[in-house]
Amino acid sequence: MEILRRLVKNRISLLGLVLLIIFVLIAILAPWLAPTEHEDPYRIPRRGWTLEPTPPSAEYPLGLTQGQYDIYYGIIWGTRTAFRVGIIVITFRALIGILLGSISAYYGGLLDEILMRFTDIFMSFPYLIGVVVFVSIFGPGLNNVMIPLIALGWMPYARMIRGNILAIKQEEYVMAAQAIGVSDLKIITRHILPNSIFPVLIQASMQIGSIVISVSALSFLGLGAPEGYADWGQMLSFARNWMLGEQGNVLKYWFTVAYPGMAMVLFVLSWNLIGDAFRDIMDPRIQA
Amino acid sequence: MLSYIVRRLMFLPVVLIGITILIFALISTLGPWTLVATFIPSPDAERHVDLEGIIQKYHLDDPPLKMYMRWLNNLFHGNLGWSQSSHMTVAEAIGNRFPATLELTLFAVIPVIIGGIALGVISAVHHNKPIDHTTRIISIGLWSLPDFVLGLAVLMVGYGILGWFPPGRLSSWAELEVLSDSFRSFTGMYTLDSLLNLRFDIFWNALRHIIGPVFTLACLWWAFMLRITRSSMLDVLNQDYVRTARAKGLAEKDVIKRHALGNALIPVTTVASNMLLGLLGGVMIVETVFNYPGLGLLTSTAATRLDVPCVVGVALFYAIILVLVNLVVDILYSVIDPRVRLE
Repeated sequence: MEILRRLVKNRISLLGLVLLIIFVLIAILAPWLAPTEHEDPYRIPRRGWTLEPTPPSAEYPLGLTQGQYDIYYGIIWGTRTAFRVGIIVITFRALIGILLGSISAYYGGLLDEILMRFTDIFMSFPYLIGVVVFVSIFGPGLNNVMIPLIALGWMPYARMIRGNILAIKQEEYVMAAQAIGVSDLKIITRHILPNSIFPVLIQASMQIGSIVISVSALSFLGLGAPEGYADWGQMLSFARNWMLGEQGNVLKYWFTVAYPGMAMVLFVLSWNLIGDAFRDIMDPRIQA
Repeated sequence: MLSYIVRRLMFLPVVLIGITILIFALISTLGPWTLVATFIPSPDAERHVDLEGIIQKYHLDDPPLKMYMRWLNNLFHGNLGWSQSSHMTVAEAIGNRFPATLELTLFAVIPVIIGGIALGVISAVHHNKPIDHTTRIISIGLWSLPDFVLGLAVLMVGYGILGWFPPGRLSSWAELEVLSDSFRSFTGMYTLDSLLNLRFDIFWNALRHIIGPVFTLACLWWAFMLRITRSSMLDVLNQDYVRTARAKGLAEKDVIKRHALGNALIPVTTVASNMLLGLLGGVMIVETVFNYPGLGLLTSTAATRLDVPCVVGVALFYAIILVLVNLVVDILYSVIDPRVRLE
């Protein structure tokens, strides 16, 4: 609550919070904002079959991108895709990280050494390239992008958890609790977990913005979401063919870049604004 | 010191073997029949191809360990396989494209490091003053811009509207000049080669082509560098020894230069390898947006055409570079910060 109060007090993070709430509302209200027309709501409806994008009109306020896919619909449902992808990837990363990190810290010794070298190997792999290797072997698709993003992204959390637990084990208050005979379970739940895992969870959730960027980037390259799927990166990949407009009217198809691009930037910005304020709040030394 | 370096060097092959096992495990999920499918150009050809024969000939049904050893042996001899998407061997393709990517990365890294560090320090020194807020907001904004969105915008404005920064690597006339016999190739980096050949028109042409992608890459990582430097500098400025230096009456300028800056830069060196990781990924997207023929474009084209050998080859190449750079960074780190060696 204290954290929330300070987030609201700071103008920069308040902006992020407001943006984030708007996106959450859009994601929740998607079926009302853009009623579905197919069985699969994530398929963007097409308003025609010509390739050339159609500019915004009263009927289609944000215009139609290449292949007459409705941009407004895609942005609304793309918000759900963004949240879903971000939350799934972060949850699994954090779970793996917490599991391996705490095992490593708890048992120590040889197992710790092996697990940490294991994380080193995973860390020395260029992350986006790893995803591309995976996709080129198993074929494109949103799931085939998320799996390697999880597999190549848990290491920082494992390290952080391990470091935190090792540090906390040495803290005087833990030793004091041990000395007065508090049970192990209670020490773990009351002292070690809140001080080691929760900071990591908060930091992890702040990564949702950058994960959405990675996934969209892969969709943009044609390796992620399939054509016509409500995903901002996929919609931007259409824009690639049209962004230079035509002779004498360079900005003719501006809407194909501007709207999906804006949705993405604001989404990522909201997470980064909150995350930035968080870092200052969590670090007691900077408050001075 | 020496023992630290030796320990690090011993870890090098472990990492490389780990990476090859990881990649091989992925490849081997493809059965022999899927592997054979790459030999078949069309459904019509399937009837005339002796599938069993190919599997026999290339030992595609060997046990995994045997296949892995053979693959590793090939890698050691620089044989990375044939790239379907670029119609040459993977090793050749990487050799051709690497100078372009190196050129791009070098151009991008310099403004990132200099600009990012300088502004990060300024921002921290003036913590919570207007200049800090401004750079902070700009850097968060830039950091939130996905590289492909920024790239599209740069291309739209820089090429579409202004006509200054065309996509690609060289105009076709310059391309012909570079490929002709009168132009000597030293490094494969066109901006450098054209200067060495005293061809300033080609230099100007190459420069105009590279500015768009460099700008896009640099903006993002400049913001990253700035944020890291700022928080590390803030941290150091609150340390006791800085307070002591101030208390004994040193000028603020000297406090920052002599006492704070050096210590603040220690964490910055550690993120250098993170930045390299990010740059390698970013290069893939930026090169695709600007149609700049480097390793990144090679990878993304190969991936969309499911050209596995090429993607795997580039990934291994990147991994080796990364491991080497990490090694250098770690050694530098232990030189700057003696505490590391004692661990």
